[in-house]
Amino acid sequence: MLEPLLGSKSSEKVLIFIEVFGEGYAREISRFFEINLDPIQKQLDKLEAGGILVSFVKGRTRIYTFNPRYPFLKELRAILDKALTFYPEDERERLFMNRRRPRRRGKSI
Amino acid sequence: MKSISKMTQAELAAYVQSYLNTKGITVILSGGAAVAIYTVNKYASPDIDLVDVYNTERKKIILAMKEIGFSEKHRYFEHPDTKYIVEFPPGPLSVGDEPVKSINEMKFSTGTLRVISATDCVKDRLAAYYFWNDLQSLDQAILVTKHNHISINEIKTWSQTIRKMREFKIFDEKLSDKK
Repeated sequence: MLEPLLGSKSSEKVLIFIEVFGEGYAREISRFFEINLDPIQKQLDKLEAGGILVSFVKGRTRIYTFNPRYPFLKELRAILDKALTFYPEDERERLFMNRRRPRRRGKSI
Repeated sequence: MKSISKMTQAELAAYVQSYLNTKGITVILSGGAAVAIYTVNKYASPDIDLVDVYNTERKKIILAMKEIGFSEKHRYFEHPDTKYIVEFPPGPLSVGDEPVKSINEMKFSTGTLRVISATDCVKDRLAAYYFWNDLQSLDQAILVTKHNHISINEIKTWSQTIRKMREFKIFDEKLSDKK
């Protein structure tokens, strides 16, 4: 959807994932979209170097999120939100139905 | 010209900045080194953050830095004769989502240093506190405010714009405590 604007499909997938879930790590994003890890990691690095994302380490995982200090963040997120409304229904469902809220250990899924 | 090993942080920043300027690369000092300048070194940081205002092609920066003896390590630049490390955070130059408009110029024997204003320096540090709850940045914002003429009303208005009034009140209270 935004590939002509963002330059690559991986970049769009990374940004859409973070827009929907608030944060994410490379393996999680690559698994979700069933694409190779390498281009996702490259895009995460690129977006971090460009000041669009920031990362922090939790345990052994580097987690990425939007940089709240990025001056065009509001506008970027508006574009991502609009792009999401054009996504196919099944893709939207997968994005929005993926459970991220806490669930106590031991409870059935 | 002083040798790099004898340059202070501000002199080194001025030297690098002036050299890059001759190569058409516009950078402005921000971050911890700006705090050190505005607090007369009450705060020390080994970092020299030169914001790459117009997002220059990385290769061009690497080449220019190499010409003055710096080598790239990860995304930082090091020089064998100094403990200071230089980084080029990406532009545009902004605090919150506002462009930075006021730049201070300081003359050194090594070159002219262009640095964000003391008020923007406070906003820059407060942004790190507001968004990441970084208490060290809050302390730095207080230090810069105490050492310079800062318009608290301007800081308040800016904090309102980015919806961080609760955090601004903490800053304001701590500022009064430390007076």
